[in-house]
Amino acid sequence: MKRRQLLVAAIGLAAAPMVMAQSFAGKTVTIIVGYKPGGGYDATARMLARHLPKHIPGRPTVIVQNMSGANSVIAANHVYNVAKPDGLTIGTFNRNLPIAQLTGVDGVKYDITKFAWIGSAANESTILAIRADLPYKNFEELRKAKETVVIGSTGPGANTHDFPLLLKDLVGVNLKIVSGYSSSADIMLAVERKEVDGRAGSFTSLRPFIERGVVRPIVRARSTEPGIDKLPVDESFAPNPRAKAIMALRSAPELVARPYVMPPKTPAEIVKAMREAFARTIDDPELVAEGKKSKIDLEYMPGDQAQKILADVMNQPKDLVAEFAKYIKFGE
Amino acid sequence: MLEALWEGLLLVLQWKAFGFMLLGIGLGFWVGLLPGLGGATTLALMLPFIYTMQPVEAFAFLLGMHAVVATTGDITSVLFGLPGEATSAATVVDGYAMTKKGEAGRALGAALASSLVGAIVGAVALAAAIPVVRPLVLTFGSPELFMLAIVGLAFIASLSGEGARGMVRGFIAAGLGLLLATVGQDPQAGVARFTFDTLYLWQGLDLVPVLVGIFAIPEIIDLFVRGNSIAGNAPPGKVAKGAWEGVKDTYRHFWLTIRCSLIGTFIGIMPGLGGSVAQWMAYGHAAQSAKTPEERKQFGQGDVRGVLGPGAANNSKEGGSLIPTVAFGVPGSTSMAILLGGFLLLGLVPGPDMLTKHVAVTYSMVWTIVIANVITVAVCFLFLDRLASITEVKGHRLIPVILVLVFIGSYTSNSHYADLLVTLVFGGVGYLMVRAGWARAPFVLGLVLGKIAENYLYISTARYEAAWLARPVVMVLIAVAIAVVVYPFFQTRWRKRHG
Repeated sequence: MKRRQLLVAAIGLAAAPMVMAQSFAGKTVTIIVGYKPGGGYDATARMLARHLPKHIPGRPTVIVQNMSGANSVIAANHVYNVAKPDGLTIGTFNRNLPIAQLTGVDGVKYDITKFAWIGSAANESTILAIRADLPYKNFEELRKAKETVVIGSTGPGANTHDFPLLLKDLVGVNLKIVSGYSSSADIMLAVERKEVDGRAGSFTSLRPFIERGVVRPIVRARSTEPGIDKLPVDESFAPNPRAKAIMALRSAPELVARPYVMPPKTPAEIVKAMREAFARTIDDPELVAEGKKSKIDLEYMPGDQAQKILADVMNQPKDLVAEFAKYIKFGE
Repeated sequence: MLEALWEGLLLVLQWKAFGFMLLGIGLGFWVGLLPGLGGATTLALMLPFIYTMQPVEAFAFLLGMHAVVATTGDITSVLFGLPGEATSAATVVDGYAMTKKGEAGRALGAALASSLVGAIVGAVALAAAIPVVRPLVLTFGSPELFMLAIVGLAFIASLSGEGARGMVRGFIAAGLGLLLATVGQDPQAGVARFTFDTLYLWQGLDLVPVLVGIFAIPEIIDLFVRGNSIAGNAPPGKVAKGAWEGVKDTYRHFWLTIRCSLIGTFIGIMPGLGGSVAQWMAYGHAAQSAKTPEERKQFGQGDVRGVLGPGAANNSKEGGSLIPTVAFGVPGSTSMAILLGGFLLLGLVPGPDMLTKHVAVTYSMVWTIVIANVITVAVCFLFLDRLASITEVKGHRLIPVILVLVFIGSYTSNSHYADLLVTLVFGGVGYLMVRAGWARAPFVLGLVLGKIAENYLYISTARYEAAWLARPVVMVLIAVAIAVVVYPFFQTRWRKRHG
């Protein structure tokens, strides 16, 4: 009798993943966010969680769980090593985690290319903007600036820091980077009181201040979006191929700015179902309308494409990585 | 301006907005009471619900909730010595000491009444500051913010124990606090400091587990060892009354309450200083109001002024921190950052427009803060005395409940088991400090101000080199810091000569 029950249970277990791929009915899918509530990663995940159920077979409940710490390395380690590959756990974390792996940060216990990639929900366009009352109207003028232009930053590892750092060290723009501001909003205030001359950051966060005429956009990184495609790209000013490669490496994760993954070895049919669900959710008119209101622009990049971009990041020659690590540290 | 003020009030009093505010108050009440579940987290969770609301309704809901969290957070601090929020830890020091003396009702009355005064002062300041807010905020650059942190640290002098020995201990404790504030990856070179190769410490120590440990654990041990109730050593019959006495205390020390409210508002206006700084500065100021060494000794032993100060500052800072959010679109805290998301969602662009075109909406926020606090305090008073009688429940019945709150409270900060470890370690530290008679306030002050002081000092020097020392506001603040440090010495000497 007992043995038979066991057998039934075993069959049930073995069959479970197959059944699941067709339907998540009655299940709860958890999206683990590597940050505390309040930031962009969290807001995006919560918006997706509200609209995903409609598009996943079986209309499961989708909830968000915050697992903060170590710039989301803790969350990534958890999804990679602890979470079950059954489609019920999705992770979203710091886009710079590939950089952490690349530069050999202690505590990294994942291989970014081996996650089951659902894809990226958005890209991020980093720009450098300087105070509108400065005499420099474009990058060429800024480059010829005699006086040092002071750029505020939050700290190494953030795009507020790394993007201007490469312009300074590799292109030779006369910049001085002052770091330690508690948030990009804090730097914005320093710009308003003329403590610093400008800041780098995402176009989304700078746009209201550009529209108000406080700052002027000068140069952008590779990743782009409508409104800034005419800005020059930092890589076009690189003095040599090596510098260009370093800049490209820094900006690569920005193409996969809102990564969504599942644990490695998640069955292919589940991955396929999730990719389709994400693609449909991000196109969902209700979500688009909501995103427009809250200024969160989403754009789906399929998992295989994201995986390819990051595999390229991981395949860089050792000496280039070593040089890259001289400039860029993982953080924030 | 008066017209806009009136219009703002009418907006809040519309039945729908008012209803949403009541809902927000109900939620905020519990969030504040329960340790760990912070105001910011709740705001993030509630944000989706405002999609279909009008701006005024949405802010009545969100702000009503947020304004109340700080008020009810003090209740847990006073009753159990367990900080309900990171921002209500300073109330523990004297509030819980009063509770142990059997004055829980009085302490709660004082905390709530001063919260109300603080909320009103903060809101009035917000309303009055609207025309001058931009120049005011822009005057305070990184050098000035650094000096504000130094002024805060100068309060160590009045928060330490008595005499040279107490002072030395105070400075050692504060030094330890400053040192612990450096744990984590530094924002200048990106170096990991004191992390012992653990991922958990990478972003530094979280305030909540540390505060919960250092304040609540020693008291739980004490309660366990004594074997009776929290107010077990107090004369019987005293506990379940006195809330009204606390209200009277607020008026006895009216100007102190007002001054502490203004300190709170001011710290709130300064973006980048953070919510937990205001109450400690106010506590330091309250401790300075002691006129004799004997009086000063009472601080930490249950002086009602030690409750009034932080209680007032805690609520007045809310009005203050709205200012940079509304006027610049630059949030002063995590909660405000989430609120800013709410603004965008509703199609309002924070910035100069909020002070001119949408000024009625801005004033409606001011009113929400005031009305939410009036309602909360009124409701609380209905059962305050009954709440105070919890402190007569036998320890062995209460300890399990408090312990659960302690560990849930600390675990919710990162949902990591190390949160519990931190609580236990700092519980041990706190216990040793209490046993050896070291004041805990200087330690916390160091921890709270350490990062701010370090970063703004770095920025000031990197940006201006030594020239920042010559800025006029910096020089004024240097004088204030010196005055704060030498004040206790002069006071004692003056007493001796004239007493």
